[in-house]
Amino acid sequence: MAMSVFRFARRTWASADLEQIAPVPLPKMATPAVVLSSLVVVALLLFVSIGPLVWGQDPSQQWLSQISAGPSGPHSVRLIRDNGPWQPPVSEPPQSLVVHDANTEFVRLQWPQIEGVRRYRIYRASAHKAGLGLAIAETDKAYYQDQLQLSYQIYRYTIADADSGLLLLAREVRPEAAISLFEAQLQGLVPVGKSGRQAKWLEMPGHPLGTDALGRDILARLMAGGRTSLFVGVVAPLLYISFGCIFGAIAGLAGGWVDQVAMRFVDFVVALPFLLFMILFRVAFGIGPGENGIMPLIVAMLMLSWPGSARLIRGQVLALRGQAFVEAAKLAGVSTSRVILRHMLPNVLPMILVAFSFAIPQAIFTEAFLSFIGMGVSPPTTSWGALCNDGIKTLLSHPRQLLLPALFISVSVLAFNLLGDALRDATDRRAGVAKA
Amino acid sequence: MKLLELDNLQVSIGPVQAVRDVSLSLAPGECRALVGESGCGKSVTAMSLLNLMPPTAQTNAARWDFAGRDMRQLSEREWRRIRGNEIAMIFQNPMTALDPTQTIGSQIAEPLRIHKGLSKREARMRAIALLERLAIANPAQRAAQYPFEFSGGMLQRAMIAMAVVCEPQLLIADEPTTALDVTVQAEVLSILRELRESSGTAMLFITHDLGVVAEIADSVSVMYAGQTVETGSLQDVFSREAHPYTQALKRAVPNMENPHRLEAIAGTPPDLRHPPKGCGFAARCCERMAICDQLPPNFPCESTAAHQARCWLWHPEHPARWRESEQ
Amino acid sequence: MLKFIAKRLLSGAITIWFIATATFFAMHAVPGDPLTQEKAMSPAVRAQLEARYGLDKPLIEQYQLFLGNMLQGDFGISFTQENRKVNDIISKHFPISAILGLAAVLIALVGGVAAGTVAAYYRNRWPDRLVMIGVIAAISVPGFVIAGLAQLIIVAMNNAAGKTLLPVAGWGSVNHIWVPALVLGLGTMAYLSRIMRASMLEVLNADFNTAAKAKGVHGLRLFWHHQLRNAVLPVVTELGPTIAGVTTGGFVVELIFAIPGLGRYFVQAVQQLDYTVIMGTTVFYGAFLVLVVVLVDISYGLIDPRIRLHGGGGR
Ligand SMILES: Nc1ncnc2c1ncn2[C@@H]1O[C@H](COP(=O)(O)OP(=O)(O)OP(=O)(O)O)[C@@H](O)[C@H]1O
Ligand code: SF4
Ligand SMILES: [Mg+2]
Repeated sequence: MAMSVFRFARRTWASADLEQIAPVPLPKMATPAVVLSSLVVVALLLFVSIGPLVWGQDPSQQWLSQISAGPSGPHSVRLIRDNGPWQPPVSEPPQSLVVHDANTEFVRLQWPQIEGVRRYRIYRASAHKAGLGLAIAETDKAYYQDQLQLSYQIYRYTIADADSGLLLLAREVRPEAAISLFEAQLQGLVPVGKSGRQAKWLEMPGHPLGTDALGRDILARLMAGGRTSLFVGVVAPLLYISFGCIFGAIAGLAGGWVDQVAMRFVDFVVALPFLLFMILFRVAFGIGPGENGIMPLIVAMLMLSWPGSARLIRGQVLALRGQAFVEAAKLAGVSTSRVILRHMLPNVLPMILVAFSFAIPQAIFTEAFLSFIGMGVSPPTTSWGALCNDGIKTLLSHPRQLLLPALFISVSVLAFNLLGDALRDATDRRAGVAKA
Repeated sequence: MKLLELDNLQVSIGPVQAVRDVSLSLAPGECRALVGESGCGKSVTAMSLLNLMPPTAQTNAARWDFAGRDMRQLSEREWRRIRGNEIAMIFQNPMTALDPTQTIGSQIAEPLRIHKGLSKREARMRAIALLERLAIANPAQRAAQYPFEFSGGMLQRAMIAMAVVCEPQLLIADEPTTALDVTVQAEVLSILRELRESSGTAMLFITHDLGVVAEIADSVSVMYAGQTVETGSLQDVFSREAHPYTQALKRAVPNMENPHRLEAIAGTPPDLRHPPKGCGFAARCCERMAICDQLPPNFPCESTAAHQARCWLWHPEHPARWRESEQ
Repeated sequence: MLKFIAKRLLSGAITIWFIATATFFAMHAVPGDPLTQEKAMSPAVRAQLEARYGLDKPLIEQYQLFLGNMLQGDFGISFTQENRKVNDIISKHFPISAILGLAAVLIALVGGVAAGTVAAYYRNRWPDRLVMIGVIAAISVPGFVIAGLAQLIIVAMNNAAGKTLLPVAGWGSVNHIWVPALVLGLGTMAYLSRIMRASMLEVLNADFNTAAKAKGVHGLRLFWHHQLRNAVLPVVTELGPTIAGVTTGGFVVELIFAIPGLGRYFVQAVQQLDYTVIMGTTVFYGAFLVLVVVLVDISYGLIDPRIRLHGGGGR
């Protein structure tokens, strides 16, 4: 029953046998979120820089024939020359409601005279909506030319007796896309003057994201607006973080009462309600005619946002001042500030980078907020916030005009925030490893 | 009859097999020390005895009886009635184990309110009386204070008061003196000893300080890498240490015989995510044999034997050193 | 504790003075005489204003006059609305903003604490993920967009129901408060739930939590007495600064939901360059915010005994 288990000779224990414990590998920087958000940031930058070159439309060009139009590709439209007053041909009075011509410049209607009706009232409604719609005119004639903000959709016209309200005739009409000669000349699609032999049809550029309430191409405006938003979002933090760093470094290096006074001042500036004073400074600087309002915005941000980085840097300087190697260097005759600057930069640079990446979305938000309440950039310059301001007016009828710029703000803010998170984690880990 | 009988307790937390085989028994009124180096699973064992491991942990035992009940069968409801009432715990660091936002008095009174159904006033009176017994001056005022107003030694006394206020049958003390300085350590130890003598509470005393063990314990279990490797009375383990790990541990402690030659145990404990196939101590053992790498020394020991060691050296067929030393 | 309160109040007063001074000089940095820019002002108002502000006197005297008026709580007369005192504007419209802000802060606090707690309890499981996605969304979408979306949703809801479930805009009834307050509080709620999640996670891993469980404390008692009270401390400290955010965020919400609050008047005054109203509201808001921060600081002391008993030395 007993099994002999001690057949083997004893071995002496050797330390070389010890398994090496593998160091815990650093978690990878390139998480999917980081990769994705960096890609988004690059895409946004390309969108606002290369975009306008590729998409050549002028962001402030107004297409009066396409107010708040939906997305459209390039298409051809009829060129309308004769959109003045109109009278129907007298020859044969119609049997019912006839459409002589229907395009987005005008719809020409004629109907038979009806006994006993003195005045007609004309209603117009979108075909997919119930009800009579808008009462667009009253007339005593048996014809009418509708030129009231027509768009490319199906309409239902109803003729009623204006006195009794009795409905007389109705019919659906689909106007074809058209552009007036005047507007075509205005947009430079048709040369002015040579009105002789012109094509009946014109090629129109498309608006992949539609047009806004003034008939401007939304895609082009998003590109132009993004330029402003990202410019402010990057430049303002760059300026105020640099200023804060210099301020904090001077306070920390000087020490003593200079430091005390400087930090008191920082406390006060921090206590100012941020957006309130943004608005106030923005008013105080004012915008002269022809200015775009970007500079006052950046200066106001600079004046209010620098204390954070000043505190950060001062804290670092003070921490380093107390350290032994600084004392040692001083004994060796090197100046304190030299040593500190040399040792501080590698320590502080990642922190500044993190602060910077969190400041960008903050600045984008601030700009958007101010532009939204009309205290940001001034037209014709635009920004995503200003686009939102335009868009909110047509929110209920055309939500796209608010949602598109809002989407761009949200995506860029999200991307920069994720990037900041990743950077912070990376520097935290670095600090952790350095301590361990 | 034994108060606690624990056989082959196993706890794994995710991939970590923190406790692989812990076997313990405690008689009523007995004080057993559980010693072992950092990370060997002492705290996990203690928390498992209160069924307080996080839900990610898996616990398993061949036998786990407490006061005649099979603890493996208990519902969470029954556990709540046991925690703080029949089994209580003293934590290592009193600074963090007391709630900073509650007064000391209310924290001590809390178990009474929960388990004994005392009114707020009664519970408070009992808490104050207990503080007085633990030699805290002005107990009534002290009870109204917050943890940050107490010194470390007083906090640990408050912690002890919190644990013993319901007069539990088993008190688990997880390194109750490690976070304290030496004079306070002695004070806390004497309080614990006194309590044990006056109330007859059984105690599981976790520590890695062998000096403390000698002062307070009746019996000792030595843990290594999630296993109890040697179990016996204080004399057995201290003067007739059987396991190479215990021997190495003793050599690492300064003593009268050779005050100048201290030997740290070379190497590090095994990674508990991949515990070794054979003996857990094999990588650091200077008595290692070929079999030690291949088979774990889990041969049956007579369960009546008071002194057991989990080591191939003590296999019945090994040239018997054990028996020599016992003669 | 008294010393602590006195200290906080004093520093608050100095801060208010600084805000008033900054406001004064910012407004006087505007090139030219503020009165000449306003074309449509009746001579009577003009004369009154000139006398009142001593606009012909040197800057220092004007500043003294301004500070004196502010100290007496007199903010002057509106430039654009004849015979309307800024004090009247504030006392009429600020309560509306305050109710809205209070409701928003309450919603944010309750929602943030609840969401953060749930996220911490279900760490890395789907409720946590859900909360964190919501947090990210609420932080990345500007308030005015959320307000617009909320209006769209209300309209769609009302259309679907065929009757007015909730008013789209306006002020007057309890139903007018919910949606704007929720919109206003959403960002803060997201921010607070992030803080709450972190601090609750810390509490759940804290020794005293385990120790309480080892005493047999469980369920609501554990949550209420030990977990919530500790975890909510960092949230309370953040409350002061976030109230500032809620107030200024209120501008936009008041504009979009057509609520006659002070924020809307401020924006209007800024657009019309109504100097007295701008200065008055800025100083008033500034003082209000400083006061709130001081109050929050003091209430923090009430929750945390370490500060209550040691005069805030710990922070
Ligand atoms: N919650 C947990 N999650 C994952 N691993 C854990 C957890 N708690 C403990 N462990 C692991 O279990 C092992 C045993 O830990 P334990 O705390 O029981 O050691 P210990 O003997 O009490 O050490 P010390 O003397 O330092 O207190 C360790 O390797 C530890 O990493
Ligand atoms: S079993 Fe072998 S390796 Fe393990 S302790 Fe005993 S002799 Fe050492
Ligand atoms: Mg431990």
